[in-house]
Parts: sequence; structure tokens; C-alpha cells
Amino acid sequence: MTKWLYCALLMVASIFGAPAVSTTSAFAADKTIKIGALFPISGPGSYFGTQDKQGVELALEQLNKAGVNGYKFEVKYEDSACSPLPATQATKRLIEQFKPDVAIGEECSDATLAIMPIMARAKIPLLNAGSSSIKITEPGNPWTFRIMPNEVMQGIDIANNAYKRLNARTAVILHENTNAGIGNAKVFADTFTKDGGKILADIGFGRDVNDFTSIATRVAGLGQIDVIPTYTLEGQGLKITQALAQAGVVKGGGGHAIQLGTIWLPFGFEQKAGKAALGYIRIVQFDPTDQREVVRKFVDAFKAKYNQSPTHLNAHAYDQIMLIADVVKRGGKDAQSIRDGLAATKNFVGVTGSVEFDKHNQNVKMDTVHYMETKPDLSWTALKWN
Amino acid sequence: MSIVTSRRFWLVVAAIVIGLLPAIFTDSYWRTNLIVCAINVLLAIGLDFVLGYAGQLNLGQSAFYGIGAYASTLLITQVGVPFWVAFVAGVLLAGVAGVFLSVFAVRLRGHYLAIASLGFAVITYQVLLNWISLTQGPLGIYGIAPPPPFAIPGLPPIEFSNLASLFYLTAGFAFLVYLLLDQLVRSPVGETLTAIREDEVSAASLGVNGQKWKVFAFAVSSAVAGAGGCFYASFVGTLVPDAFFITESFSILAMVIVGGMGTLIGPVLGAILLTVLPELLRGIGDLRLIVYGVSVTLVVLFMPGGLVQAARLVAARVRRPAKVGRDP
Repeated sequence: MTKWLYCALLMVASIFGAPAVSTTSAFAADKTIKIGALFPISGPGSYFGTQDKQGVELALEQLNKAGVNGYKFEVKYEDSACSPLPATQATKRLIEQFKPDVAIGEECSDATLAIMPIMARAKIPLLNAGSSSIKITEPGNPWTFRIMPNEVMQGIDIANNAYKRLNARTAVILHENTNAGIGNAKVFADTFTKDGGKILADIGFGRDVNDFTSIATRVAGLGQIDVIPTYTLEGQGLKITQALAQAGVVKGGGGHAIQLGTIWLPFGFEQKAGKAALGYIRIVQFDPTDQREVVRKFVDAFKAKYNQSPTHLNAHAYDQIMLIADVVKRGGKDAQSIRDGLAATKNFVGVTGSVEFDKHNQNVKMDTVHYMETKPDLSWTALKWN
Repeated sequence: MSIVTSRRFWLVVAAIVIGLLPAIFTDSYWRTNLIVCAINVLLAIGLDFVLGYAGQLNLGQSAFYGIGAYASTLLITQVGVPFWVAFVAGVLLAGVAGVFLSVFAVRLRGHYLAIASLGFAVITYQVLLNWISLTQGPLGIYGIAPPPPFAIPGLPPIEFSNLASLFYLTAGFAFLVYLLLDQLVRSPVGETLTAIREDEVSAASLGVNGQKWKVFAFAVSSAVAGAGGCFYASFVGTLVPDAFFITESFSILAMVIVGGMGTLIGPVLGAILLTVLPELLRGIGDLRLIVYGVSVTLVVLFMPGGLVQAARLVAARVRRPAKVGRDP
């Protein structure tokens, strides 16, 4: 009985006695902008949340030294787990208990689509960076803003560039069977076909597939392929690239085809994929080799704080907080005025690019799309297509 | 029998508690958690009926949950069927799927049945994921409306977009299902299922058709899970196949085991605990899932009979007469 008592006491102490470490409390200042952060901190998408937090923390450290317009910033993290139901629970907890002036997140489109109506009912602006589904901004939701280019913007741009700049006429599309994967693949196929190109195969696969040898073998048998747009996360992306090289399809394996990708793969993918990634052309949301002053300062500060180079996830999170600070600088002080300030944003300069929203609150600036090509020494070269 | 130990007394207490909960928890966050509790109670008592009473290790509960959710939603959004007709259809379809699985599963026992039912859950998940023209697959279905308002003559309509009303609906339904299953397990049907669970050969020697009763248990269990799915879709408003991945089956199984398998009240307690605990632990940030995992492991290690066993032990301690001191 005594050991049960200890167990019970331990659990109770854990629940009620532990500090609330999930809040980055700034100060007990009167004027505080409260930012709710809905990130996947648990589950398969937890690497999003971990990196997002790094970017947020760096931004807070810089902003709260002096404040903005007399305001400090406080962030409360909630684990939305990349899934609709946990995201719904986390959002309601955030709204009821933290009462944020503005929220940032989620990364996964399914979760973002689930929380958007809740934020709209609560009249709290939601600033999204990581979800690419067109459904997030296309119907028009006055309370949801997205700073990254959506799947249509990226898909049209990369398909046009493949046809016009790379003179590609044939393509094989590889994509994971998710909301974003299917959406990206469809936009590429529609645009490339309209341009005059031909889709030789459109191959979807689940996130549980670990061996891509059979898919690569099938692709190798499809004849002359110019480009292979690939939409998948890093783990499967590495295996696909290596399997395509082993099958002699892509440049990294002595073949002809160029693999194309969008924002799904983080910085450092090339080093992990090795020679197989040679010639890979992809869109990145953040170019750490960018020589703009704002980027150099961010990279230096990030390295000083974390002793590592920032990824696009770090950069996105940093830009989200900095954009909110910019709105506060322009007079934002509560949910309504921050929403209005976000909508009125013109040429905000962030580390991922600039921001200006259209009537659906989608960022229209294409300088957030950076094209990179993998060189033989596995470093990047910026293609300056935008 | 004192009034406190009577079943009827506790059922009245439960009904009063359900009635009071939305008044105690007035914010939308906790009312949301209450609805999730009610849905999980449905799933857990449904699984307990086939697992705890009939002794069939069914790991396919996530499939029936998903079938109920998708069937009712597609009937509403694609065919234009009224919510309650779609609800009944979703429940029936999940029940029929349970019968379909059981036709093959009745020949299997123990681990083999577990693998077969897990396979069924995997196949169902893949169908939901890949039959995009019907289910929208990973593209998801969004903007699913809550159940339509319920009008009582002379009174304002009950809007289920209100979380308190939706809680009364889901919890009231879960309570009704509990009462029905409680009557079933206390009837000769329950004794028959228990006999099959304990020794199918001996039960057969007494004239019990084990296969028929197992099919019945599967059908009831899966239909109850289907009802949970119908409520899930109209509550969350979003349907993606990942919500019905096989890990959901293990979560429901954990609720049954932690609560106490083979008792109906156990899975109710398990469902409530395993829904509420992760939410209570949100306050401790990143340590949340570690503490949650450790807590569940401790329960299973020290209380293999679940919370019900623990409650019984405590009750026995309380009732034990004081030791009579020995003479010096």
C-alpha cells in the first residue's frame, strides 16, 4: 500500500507541483503582447516544433531587450501534434487559459485547417508559415494569414521553370499520399502539361514506405525523363534520391534526370544524401548563404546562441515573431489591431523573404522562393530564378 | 444491501454528475475535453464488451470507429441524408463490418485473432487513405457541421454547435449504451459470453454456439465504436484517415486495461483518466508525455486489474474490521 501511496503522490506532484515550463514568460510588464504558439511538439512531426521553438526564442531574446513601442512579448507553447483533434484541444486551451493576442502555427495542413475556424470564432489572428495546402487561404478567412508561398504558387513556378529554363519536356512525379503531397503534385502536373510537357507517371506512396527500390526500378523503365519533381519529407526523400541514383536515373547516379523539390527538405539534405543529390534543384524557404544584412545578422545570432546553422523552420518561426513585432511597431496592441496590421503589411523584410498579403491573406511575394542546385562538393548554388 | 452499494444509486449519481459537468466546467477547452471523454467512453465500453466479456482480443476497433465516422459524414455531405439517418446508417455499417470481420475471426483465438483484427484495421485505414474519389483520402473532409438543432415544442431549439448541448448528447448516448450493455452482461447473454471467454469447449458441451455469440459480440462492439465515430466527425468538423490509424486501437485497448477489463465501469474510468491526464499534464510542458507514459506503466505494473481492482482493494481495506489487540 505504501508504494501505491508514493506513486499517487508522485503523480499528483508531477501534475500540480511542476513549473509550467511551456511558457516563455517575458516579464510582469503591464504592456505585453501574448503570442500563442501551436506547434507539433510530440509525435512524428515533433522536429517541426523543436526547430520552431529555437527560432521563436531567438526572436524573443532580441525583441525583449528593449521592447517594441513599449510592449514586451510573451509566448505560450502548446503541443498541437500535427493532428486535428489534439490541435483542436490545444487551441481551445490556449484561447481559454492564455488568451493570446495573436497565434502562430500549426505546421501540418490538416491541423491548421482544423484550428482555423476556432481562431476565427475567437477573433484571434493566426499567422501560419508551414502549411502549404491551398485550402488554408483560398476560401478567404479574415483571421488566418500565411507567409510562405502556397502549393499553387510553388507548383506553378517550379513547373514553369522546369519547362522554360531547364527545357524539360518529360516528368515523373513522386509524392507522398498526403494533403500537401497530392496538392503539390497536381499543380505541377497541370502546369507542366499546359506548358506542353508530358507526365510519364504520377506515383504516390504512403509515409510507411521505407524501401524505394521498386519505385526507382519502375521509374528507370519509363524512358527518357527530364525532371522528377518529388514531394516528401526528409526521411523518405533521402531514400528516394539514393534509390534513383542507384537505378541510374538521376544525375547523381550518372543518369539524365534532374530531381526537383519544394520546401519539404531542410538545409543539410545534400550532406546526408551524398553524391546521389548531385544536380538536385529545389525551392528552399531560407537560404543561409544569402548575403542580405538581415540574413547575415540572423545566421550569426543563431550560431552564437545554438552553435549550429539555422534551418528554414528556424527562419520561418523567427520571421513570424518579427512580423508580429513589426505590426506592433505600426500600432498593433490587441487581436483586432494586430489582424488589421497584418492585413496592411507592405514589404516587410524577413530572413526568408518579404511579406505582403493579398485579399485572402496569402503572402504574394515570390522572393520567398529560393532555387538551389546541389554542386559536386554537395554545397548549394543559388540559381537566382526569382 | 445499503443504498450506497446499490447499482441504481450509482447510476443516478452518474446521471446527476453528467448533468452538472457543463455547469462546473464552463470554458470551451474543458467542455471539449468532456466531449472527447464521452466519445472515448463509447469506444472503450464497446471494446470491453467483445474483449472483457467474450474474451476476443480485437485490435480492429479503430477501423469500426473510422467506418462510422466516414459513412455518416459521406452520407450527409455527398448524398444529403439527414444527420440522424446517417448516424443510424453509420452505426449499422460499422456493425456489419464487425460481423464481416467476425465471420473469419471466430475461427481464430488469442494472438492469431489479434493479428487478424489488426490486419483489418490496416486494410480499412489504407482504404480510407487511398480511395480518394470517395473519402478524399489525405486531402481530408473539412467543415463538417454539428448535428442539426433539436426542437422541442414550446421550448427554444437545442443547438448542438453549443458545446454543452453536444456534451449532453454524446454523454447521454454513452450513458444509454452503458445501461444497455450493463443489462446485457447481467442477462444470460452476459453469462454465455463469459462462459465462452473462460472455456469455449466446456461452453459448447453445454450447448452454447460459441461462433454465433462471438459474431454477436463483434457486431455490438463495432456498432458502438461506429457511433463514437459519427460523434467524432460532427464534433471535430474535420476528417482525415490518420485519426483512425491503428495506434488508435491501442489507445482504446489501454483505456480498457487501465480501467479494468471485464467490468463495464472500469473502461469508463480508464477512458476518462487517459483522456484527462494528458490534458492536465500540459502544464508541465515537454515532460508531459514522459509522465503520462510512466503513470500508465505504473498502473499496469501495480494494478493489473486496473482502477477497478485498486478501488476494490481500497474498499476492502476500509471495510476490514480493526485488529483486536493481543493480551499482554
